[in-house]
Amino acid sequence: MTDFTMAQAVVQAAKYIGTGLVMGLGALGPALGEGNIGSKAMEAMARQPEMVGTITTRMILADAITETTGLYALLIAFMILLF
Amino acid sequence: MKVNFSKSEKIFLLIFLVLYFIIAVWNAGYVEFPESSGLVWQMKIPLPSIFGVLNPMTVIMTSVIIVLWILVSLKFKKHLSKIPSRFQSAIELLLSFIYDLVDNSIPVKKLVKPVFYFSSTLFLFILVSNILGGIPGISVSPVNNGLSINFFNDTWYSPTADLNTNLTYAIMVLIASYIFAIKHKGLKEWAKGFISPSPFMLPMNILGELSRPISHSFRLFGNIAGGALISLMLCYLTKYTIVPVVVWGFFGFFIGAIQAYVFTILAVAYISAQLE
Repeated sequence: MTDFTMAQAVVQAAKYIGTGLVMGLGALGPALGEGNIGSKAMEAMARQPEMVGTITTRMILADAITETTGLYALLIAFMILLF
Repeated sequence: MKVNFSKSEKIFLLIFLVLYFIIAVWNAGYVEFPESSGLVWQMKIPLPSIFGVLNPMTVIMTSVIIVLWILVSLKFKKHLSKIPSRFQSAIELLLSFIYDLVDNSIPVKKLVKPVFYFSSTLFLFILVSNILGGIPGISVSPVNNGLSINFFNDTWYSPTADLNTNLTYAIMVLIASYIFAIKHKGLKEWAKGFISPSPFMLPMNILGELSRPISHSFRLFGNIAGGALISLMLCYLTKYTIVPVVVWGFFGFFIGAIQAYVFTILAVAYISAQLE
């Protein structure tokens, strides 16, 4: 570990805080969305048990699309840490 | 449900499991984190501006996958018969799955076949390149002077973990959707779509069109590259014991197959949105 000046240390600390904030807040939206998708899919499955296969496929697809905003946050977090 | 395996399938699965097990033991206690893993091998070529840098691994793996699919399709065409063999019915199942998808969402019957050719090519290429990201193999990474070639402590380099590949495909989908729309509606009718509610909406429409390939490509890139980085980190934290096998399998096979399907379904949706 090299010696830091005060300004560099502040920037470094701000990077870590920013990364944590980006991941935490960025994971919030997809979590809510996926929870919503899961609960609605469960309701649909309980109402129509013969459609379980189709609903599961569609649910996984919708999950994959909802996850994307979380992944954007992950990319931004990596970019903050690396550059 | 009872699954019966033939003898050759059992041998194949056994070889696969033993290979994974050997790799897991091989990498057990791999405490040293490879100096430059996660970095991308880049090569400078004498061309001006942004075209001066090349990713050789992307080029190599892309050509490997293209050659692989050419060989598979030649074999498929050679042994074509009325009573399908197992290989033929597997390929037919995969292609009819995509055909149903295209047939259900494209409103113009005349354009179903061209869109099917386009989207099935995208699907097959992206599927194989994502799955390669779940199979341990040879990875090349740059060190201070020269290259270090690592065997079996990382997966094959997946071409879709490079944003250039994904952005190329997304822009290709955009241009193809315009071509299909112009062919179906005519140039004048298509251009009218940009000022559809009123001429004031023109900038909003153009922004909407431009944001489409960006979100389309970043979705695939984020999943594959993010998965690769996360599995690299988890492998390091667990000192390369059993965990890599599970993580590579999850990110390569499960997430990879889902994302290939999502990319295809979105491409078909974008094309069909232009046709309405």
